[in-house]
Amino acid sequence: MPHSSHEIRLSPREWIITLVIIAGLFYLIPVGWQRLESLETNPDYRIPYELSSDYWLFSRYCRSVCAADKMPVIGDSVIWGQYVKPDQTLTHYLNELAGADLYANLGVDGTHPMVLAGLIEYYGKAIKDKDVILHLNLLWMTSPRADLQIEKEFAFNHPRLAPQFIPPIPCYTASVSEKIGIIMERRVPFFSWLNHLHRAYYDNQNLQNWTLENPYACPFAPVTFELIPPGGRERQKPIPWTEKTAAPQAFPWVEPDTSLQWQAFLRLVKTLQKRNNRLFIIVGPFNEHMLDDQSRKTYTAIKNKVETCLQEKNLPCYLPPPLPPSLYADASHPLPAGYAQLAHQLFELLNR
Amino acid sequence: MLFQTWIFLPFFLVAYAVYLALKRTRFGNLWILIASYVFYGWFHPLFLLLIAYSTTIDYFLTALMAKSRRPRLWLTLSIVNSLGLLSFFKYGNFITLKLNDLLLALGGSHIIEMPGLLFPVGISFYLFKSIGYVIDCYRGEVEREKNFIRHAVFVSFFPILVMGPIERAQNLFRQLRDTPRITAPDVADGLSLFLVGLFKKLALADYLGLYVDKIYDAPADHQAPALMLATFAFTWQIYFDFGGYTDMARGLARMMGFRIMLNFHHPYLADGLGDFWRRWHISLSSWFRDYLYIPLGGNRKGNFATYRNLFLTMLLSGLWHAGLGHGATLTFVVWGVVHGLGLMLTRKLERSPFYRDKIPRIIKQMAVFIFVAFAWIFFRAAGLDDAGLIIARIFSAGWADPQFPLLMVFLIFALWLYQFAVESRIRRFVNIAPVRVGAVVFMILYLTLFASSGVRSFIYMQF
Repeated sequence: MPHSSHEIRLSPREWIITLVIIAGLFYLIPVGWQRLESLETNPDYRIPYELSSDYWLFSRYCRSVCAADKMPVIGDSVIWGQYVKPDQTLTHYLNELAGADLYANLGVDGTHPMVLAGLIEYYGKAIKDKDVILHLNLLWMTSPRADLQIEKEFAFNHPRLAPQFIPPIPCYTASVSEKIGIIMERRVPFFSWLNHLHRAYYDNQNLQNWTLENPYACPFAPVTFELIPPGGRERQKPIPWTEKTAAPQAFPWVEPDTSLQWQAFLRLVKTLQKRNNRLFIIVGPFNEHMLDDQSRKTYTAIKNKVETCLQEKNLPCYLPPPLPPSLYADASHPLPAGYAQLAHQLFELLNR
Repeated sequence: MLFQTWIFLPFFLVAYAVYLALKRTRFGNLWILIASYVFYGWFHPLFLLLIAYSTTIDYFLTALMAKSRRPRLWLTLSIVNSLGLLSFFKYGNFITLKLNDLLLALGGSHIIEMPGLLFPVGISFYLFKSIGYVIDCYRGEVEREKNFIRHAVFVSFFPILVMGPIERAQNLFRQLRDTPRITAPDVADGLSLFLVGLFKKLALADYLGLYVDKIYDAPADHQAPALMLATFAFTWQIYFDFGGYTDMARGLARMMGFRIMLNFHHPYLADGLGDFWRRWHISLSSWFRDYLYIPLGGNRKGNFATYRNLFLTMLLSGLWHAGLGHGATLTFVVWGVVHGLGLMLTRKLERSPFYRDKIPRIIKQMAVFIFVAFAWIFFRAAGLDDAGLIIARIFSAGWADPQFPLLMVFLIFALWLYQFAVESRIRRFVNIAPVRVGAVVFMILYLTLFASSGVRSFIYMQF
């Protein structure tokens, strides 16, 4: 009687050899991949929108930015430039003012503080001993939902970067198995490289699903070692918000004392400080023009609390005044002229 | 908790490490019991009540049986209890549905509420194991287990709890009574079995399942080639799904020092239907043989009784598969009937010198494979209507590009060749260390690089 049907048996010694080979391959494949796949970053480079969830690419880009001794500018789509072209972002204008390629756009679409903290902790390890500009978008505190406080499950951005167990996020109900899988992906570079492979070449599918859609194609054909270029277009049309909606908004703001996003932001600050980085924090500029009176009052109070807290922690920060209404595309994203104006203010401050 | 999920890894590492520390103490079996209940309770804590109830009842009934002058009474009570539980959970909804149909047909207006039962995974497997034990005790073939913990571990041993193999009392109790000796080759063999099982499940069964689901979910939209290929794909899918689970289960048990019976032995190399059932789901086939076919008289009471017993056994096997959770339960009954008829019709033929000696083995193997694949149509189809439609379209619909992935063709072909190789003279070439190590490295890389990250549960978990 055989050992099993379709059996393959290894002796203890053969298992050890196999595990050594596998460990070697797990280590070497992602390292070798970087040699084969070129990451060409021009001064206005930003992570392609389609690869926003490719954290292996982000970590690679971080290493490249830090090796070039640039100043990382970290944040969500406000830094990335949702409504602007790559040559209209905040970092572009800062570089223009500096007359050199000094600032790097490390913005990633949809990275609210809760997940930005994870992104930097696990995939931004290269950012150490640097001057860093860190952006805080108060949009993520405009409601209990944006603050991830509601009990009802909903699909928020980048759950793979969020804390999986502690602190608990009420609306995040992935299974324990999924959470362990995510933790493995963070800890083992091979798994995050694997995610890169799926996202960059297989339409964000695993290879088996991909072959169903492309039954007769060679499974390795999509691997061209050429990354999607960042693209020269805006992600969304740059239309001023005043042309879209003019009705004043009343946001159910979440106070910093109870905000999960604010706590996460403080964790992010701590992570960056632990790595011996010198931080400069920009808060906003939020589009106050679209708020009704009550909401604006609450927002101002929150902004002041945030400022006080940052000052108490000796963190240099800048809370820019609101831009003119026509320079916003929505609640938090400036239009090109808005970024130019903001860059001027910031550059002046940084060089004071 | 499924073996192929991440949560199983920390669970097993902890369970195994503590077990290694405790196995020589009197707490070894207690620890297996705790681990097994954690494993099972992970599916749903309420399931624990049921398994604890069934374990306790059978423990006391076997005790009464041993002391009583009327052991048959306690045997009957135990079997009725187990089959009652099984029927209640498997057929409760089905029976209610049919009663409602009947009431409506008779012009009645009252509709009986559906019980809406939560189906306890693995119930069939542990109840069958328990029934087998009680019958063995009654027959005096196995000594009654007086230690309650050991009895409870026998029922709930976590590697084989959810989908078997339906291990025999004699084999498992013997190992539970002795302190298992775990050697390095045991661990290596266990790991090998587990990896092969994982590969069968994730890389093969789940992959083939993608194509099968696509075609079988809308049979009217597909032409003969796609329907045929999907049927063959399902033939392999169900084998790799169930066989994969069994390998993983046996591998885990082996790492813990237990040797669990073989459940599959290259079933698609069978050269007769009888041979197929000696290779497919061996623990259930032999269970039906020992506790149903033989008590019915087996082949000792003439031709008519033999054929009747064969047919009844397969019909009951079909009925066992039928039940809650799969609306069209009759398809499983038809599947059992098709196999029953097949066994009846080929029994004489398979024993004839002409079939045995004159027909090339490969032809017989192909014929059995095609028959088994045909029967699987009933097993997989959503209902009898769908099964009829699929069969009709296979023989009548036009030809169109089936869009069957080449990678699937390659994998199936490679495994087909491999199973021939391991049963042939070239086995020694396949069996050299570099080939085996290379194959394992390939499997691990394939699993990490290509296999699905989603979790499909096992087909047989619904039974």
